[in-house]
Amino acid sequence: MDRRELLKMVALLTGGAVIGSEFFLSGCTAGGKAELGFTPGNIALLDEVGETILPATSSPGAKAAQVGEFMKVYVTDCYPQASQDAFIKGINDLDADCKKLHSKSFMDCTPEQRHEFLLSLEKQSKEFNTGPQEEDKKNRAELKAKNKEYDFVAKPRHYYTMMKQLTLLGFFTSKVGATQALRHIPVPGKYDGAYSYKKGDKAWAE
Amino acid sequence: MADNTFDAIVVGSGISGGWAAKELCEKGLKVLLLERGGPHEHIKDYKTATKSIWELPHRGYTTNEQRKKYPVIHRGWAAQEEVMDAWANEEDAPYTEVKPFTWWRSYRFGGRSILWGRQSYRWSQMDFEANAKDGIAIPWPVNYNDIAPWYDHVEKFAGISGSPQGLSHLPDGQFMPPFELNVVEKDVAARIKEQFKGQRHLFIGRVANITQPHYERPGCQYRARCWEGCQFGGYFSTQSSTYPAALKTGNLTVRPYSLVSQVLYDKETKKARGVEVLDTETNQAYEFNSKIVFLCASALNSAWILMRSATDIWPEGLGSSSGELGHNVMDHHYNLGASGRIEGYDDKYYYGRRPTGFYIPRFVNMGTDKRDYLRGFGYQGSASRTGWGREIAELNIGGEFKDALSEPGNWRIGATGFGEILPHHDNKISLDKNKKDKWGLPVLSMDAELKENEMKMRKDIVAELKAMLEASGVKDIHTSDSGHAMGHGIHEMGTARMGNDPKTSVLNKWNQVWDAPNVFVTDGAFMTSSACQNPSLTYMAFTARAANYAVEELKKQNL
Repeated sequence: MDRRELLKMVALLTGGAVIGSEFFLSGCTAGGKAELGFTPGNIALLDEVGETILPATSSPGAKAAQVGEFMKVYVTDCYPQASQDAFIKGINDLDADCKKLHSKSFMDCTPEQRHEFLLSLEKQSKEFNTGPQEEDKKNRAELKAKNKEYDFVAKPRHYYTMMKQLTLLGFFTSKVGATQALRHIPVPGKYDGAYSYKKGDKAWAE
Repeated sequence: MADNTFDAIVVGSGISGGWAAKELCEKGLKVLLLERGGPHEHIKDYKTATKSIWELPHRGYTTNEQRKKYPVIHRGWAAQEEVMDAWANEEDAPYTEVKPFTWWRSYRFGGRSILWGRQSYRWSQMDFEANAKDGIAIPWPVNYNDIAPWYDHVEKFAGISGSPQGLSHLPDGQFMPPFELNVVEKDVAARIKEQFKGQRHLFIGRVANITQPHYERPGCQYRARCWEGCQFGGYFSTQSSTYPAALKTGNLTVRPYSLVSQVLYDKETKKARGVEVLDTETNQAYEFNSKIVFLCASALNSAWILMRSATDIWPEGLGSSSGELGHNVMDHHYNLGASGRIEGYDDKYYYGRRPTGFYIPRFVNMGTDKRDYLRGFGYQGSASRTGWGREIAELNIGGEFKDALSEPGNWRIGATGFGEILPHHDNKISLDKNKKDKWGLPVLSMDAELKENEMKMRKDIVAELKAMLEASGVKDIHTSDSGHAMGHGIHEMGTARMGNDPKTSVLNKWNQVWDAPNVFVTDGAFMTSSACQNPSLTYMAFTARAANYAVEELKKQNL
């Protein structure tokens, strides 16, 4: 089997990573809406959320990778409907939740305030996600007993979890992310299985 | 020669069909190669192969629309953005599942030879003897020594890289220099050797990727994007290998969009006189005539063609006189394994992307080892450093988090098992006359499942892997078994098995249909048992052997 297939399998086997297994598993029965009404304002907001999660450092950040636009495409084309709805609702909830903490909208916050707010959502989302995670576990077990695990569709996660996952995916697979935050070599031409590594060297993009 | 008359007709352009066409053309026969799907040209049609991940709008993932259109492909790992065009249209060509069955089909020139996993292992005498020894199904009509020269023949042309190991149960072959284990895999291999007293082996996977230039093929460039098609001819496919060789003879004619709806059987001569083709674009039917027919349409579709042929004589189809046509469906069961963390090696990484991982060949039910089930399994896996999808302790967001994810994480090692499936008469496929495909033809109905022997083996596959990883110092081992529907291994086989007795087998030892000796079936349908090795190399060897035999018999005017 090739490496890609294997990595995917290992991801399925280990689960629990930042990019949750719901990314890899989604049945065909769910379907989704074709048009979700993303506005330019939404995209700008999502870019800033992304930039707060993965800011510019010695390499450009999520905004330079246009993760907002990527989220629009991915949620519209690939998310099952329940997660689409939760994501769109989440865009509004995010501002409301931000106002509770800082008494102003996310876009009006300073980078420090944005950071503080998203950190509060880290905790909140982990608690929220235990519900859908339990449901997923139960649903998957039931389908597995019928040898139909492939019909599994993950329950929506907290809106922040979805935004964070899409930020990571959108950034590290973008040209900016793959070539500047990571190292990208399209045609390696050889293999070295004991290549020397020192702290600070970047990971391969693929 | 009339326009529609040839010396030989080959049905299907995948691994087996490509080989049949090459061998027959090179021996001077005029060959018609029929492919039910459309053309797929080497290099020119590998549309994503030179794209970067960011040029794919969904970065490798599939859409809701694709999920709806390709529900079967979405049951496994193969639903990825870059290869969705490769899979058969499931709306046009449905099938019936009496029991869950995952059928991965590619209906275009080259078939699954473009997409395959390329792992290439010989069978051994142990595998060919297994049925006779265990009293399971029927004995194989051939021995390893009958096939060994043909393994040599196909390996030399296809280009198989691998390391000789001197194992009698996994014979060495005509290898190109092997790919390399990485530093962690090498140490784990040494630990396994020591802990299991030289009885278990971990080495680099033998794979149909070339490590040196070979014929017109420059060779592997370590991109590991094989299944998108390789512009460097880095691996064996119909396009890179057998098709150009067949074309060079001037004896080859290819007809795409040609669905073979039956073999035309002549009652007088008791042989096939050709095939009927349905043009999938125009819905027109055509007849093509030939002295011999090679069915290489993949195990289930070759059986489907036979079931639809000569039904005025045998209601269940050509080759059904034994009662075994469509029965004994096998596969390899997998979707289970283990992985864990390896400490250390922080100063080591790798450069380049290998097109293979490691292989651990079978070690159970051999010599004095006896289990509470029959046969065995092998493992395939790799060690690597984790990437940006991992969790970072104490860091959730921000610049430090991003910079940490930009570096590789710790090493992990994991593998998945591939187990043998026993042939059962009641694991079968048949025609579903109530359901039709886009062209009005009855579809296949699948009624096959894993039985007790496989279920017992699955427990052992996970337990033994966990034990080996533990013995090698791997930490935090996570095991998994996500179940296995028949077909999911993409190694479906057995539906027209070979044997010594026409009463219990569909084919003789030369892959000839007992009931029509000028019809040869050389894809996975001929398999009498499944062993646990990836089977394509064995299909290549049997195909080349059958083609050679067919030409000899033609010369002797026996066909």
